[in-house]
Amino acid sequence: MAMCAALRCVSTNFSAALPLLSRPAHIWTCQNSLRPNILRTLYTSSRLSGALKFTDKHEWVRVEGGVGTVGISNFAQEALGDVVYCGLPEVGTKLEQMEEFGVLESVKAASELYSPLTGEVTEINTDLADNPGLVNKACHEDGWLVKMTIEKPAELDELMDEAAYEKFIKSLDS
Amino acid sequence: MGIRMTARLKSTLSTYFDEMGKAGIILKSASAGIFENLALEDWIHDHVDLQNRSILLLWRNSPVVVIGRHQNPWQECNLPLMRRLGIPLARRRSGGGTVFHDFGNINMTFFTSKKKYDRHRNLKVVTSALKALRPDLDVSATDRFDILLNGQHKISGTAAKLGRTSAYHHCTLLCSVDRSILSSVLKSNTSEVIRSNATLSVPSPVKNLSDVDPTLDADTIMEAIASQFNNEFGFDSPVITVDPAHEALMPGIHKMTNDIKMWEWIYGKTPKFSVCTSLVVDDVNIKLDMDIKSGTVEKCAVEIPEDWLPPETVNEFTSALNGSKYCPNEAAVLVAAFMRTRSMSADVAGKIHRLCEGVLSVM
Repeated sequence: MAMCAALRCVSTNFSAALPLLSRPAHIWTCQNSLRPNILRTLYTSSRLSGALKFTDKHEWVRVEGGVGTVGISNFAQEALGDVVYCGLPEVGTKLEQMEEFGVLESVKAASELYSPLTGEVTEINTDLADNPGLVNKACHEDGWLVKMTIEKPAELDELMDEAAYEKFIKSLDS
Repeated sequence: MGIRMTARLKSTLSTYFDEMGKAGIILKSASAGIFENLALEDWIHDHVDLQNRSILLLWRNSPVVVIGRHQNPWQECNLPLMRRLGIPLARRRSGGGTVFHDFGNINMTFFTSKKKYDRHRNLKVVTSALKALRPDLDVSATDRFDILLNGQHKISGTAAKLGRTSAYHHCTLLCSVDRSILSSVLKSNTSEVIRSNATLSVPSPVKNLSDVDPTLDADTIMEAIASQFNNEFGFDSPVITVDPAHEALMPGIHKMTNDIKMWEWIYGKTPKFSVCTSLVVDDVNIKLDMDIKSGTVEKCAVEIPEDWLPPETVNEFTSALNGSKYCPNEAAVLVAAFMRTRSMSADVAGKIHRLCEGVLSVM
């Protein structure tokens, strides 16, 4: 149990250190306290950071190479109906976690979008300008909304993984 | 029949509602100002706990054109005509299309939690209220959340906004609106020259309720809707009049009102678009190409026969417009300044002046 706790604790530090290559001292501290087979497990779990994490507002974020790609979940796109317009922020916009960063207009309503993380917008999906329906058709891939830096990686731990999110949306129906 | 709100020390509208302890509340705005009323909607949406409470807000405005969140006013309405008639433009935060309001139009906003968001049920309040007043009236809601009179004419349109935990659905109701002004302001003079991905309105033939029954007036209808709201949801609220200018009662509402009056919101929020047209000035064909982002000219290109105006002058003219607001007043000021700072013959000055007028005509 203690080892698992140590692993989780260290993997958090590791992913925090990942984009901060200028802090080797930090990484050394981790490595020094571990045996080689645990190090190997750590590398595997850092690769898992390509998996989706979800907010309770039905946005997802996928982390790859220190950049977070943000979109809305299948549950959200179904609830919204056909998206007719994507109102997205400018590149360079700085966002706090939970801050409103845009709006999706659908036949249902104009629905506000909330940032899953604290960071800066590095890219917006320009395909959505002429093809807003991508959000419905491919909400996890081509229908992504923005890419952003991850200023506070610990925020990722607060988000739900896919299994937890599935449980969450089931509980909403009741 | 109504109750007028008076400020109590340290009490805001929100705490007043909490103290009332009612699950349903009916409000009526004391203001006829569109910005004040839109700000009132925003304030209620942001500050009032709507998890276990529903609110109906009734409001009317002096003449104004209101566009949806992602629309392009140059595509949707006749801005030069509106300026001549003194009819302002407002952009709301909800989606949907463009509408014309005057005192003959009733606006209704239904505030609920996101869970209780139900546009059909809200529209049923309206149609049932009308049928209670006049049982023979043929009014029905469509799949698009319009209300039709006699299955043909639109008397109500709907728009909505979903926020963090709550939602609002608002709709119009044509009682005795000036239909000739409505149709002339809602017809753009430049829609054919604009290329954009902004959301477009769906034009519909409209009618006033007073056209089929002149005895139906807005006050009677508002009272019936308030009553039916209570019936439908099992509430028992009186109609409470609220003044959206009351900052003490609604802290922050003045700033919200000012925010939506800003050019950057009304015009600047227009999705990126381009204008591509041919102007005829002095029998000369001139091609005009402009890209506008955030309401600002990002690119301005003019194709003019070289023998009509020297290319350097034309380049300086387009540079003067680059980076400026896509606004006839601002453009006119910039071109006037441009002409003052260069020495030019009367002939060239006259041509630039007429060229400028041509460009202004699409703004």
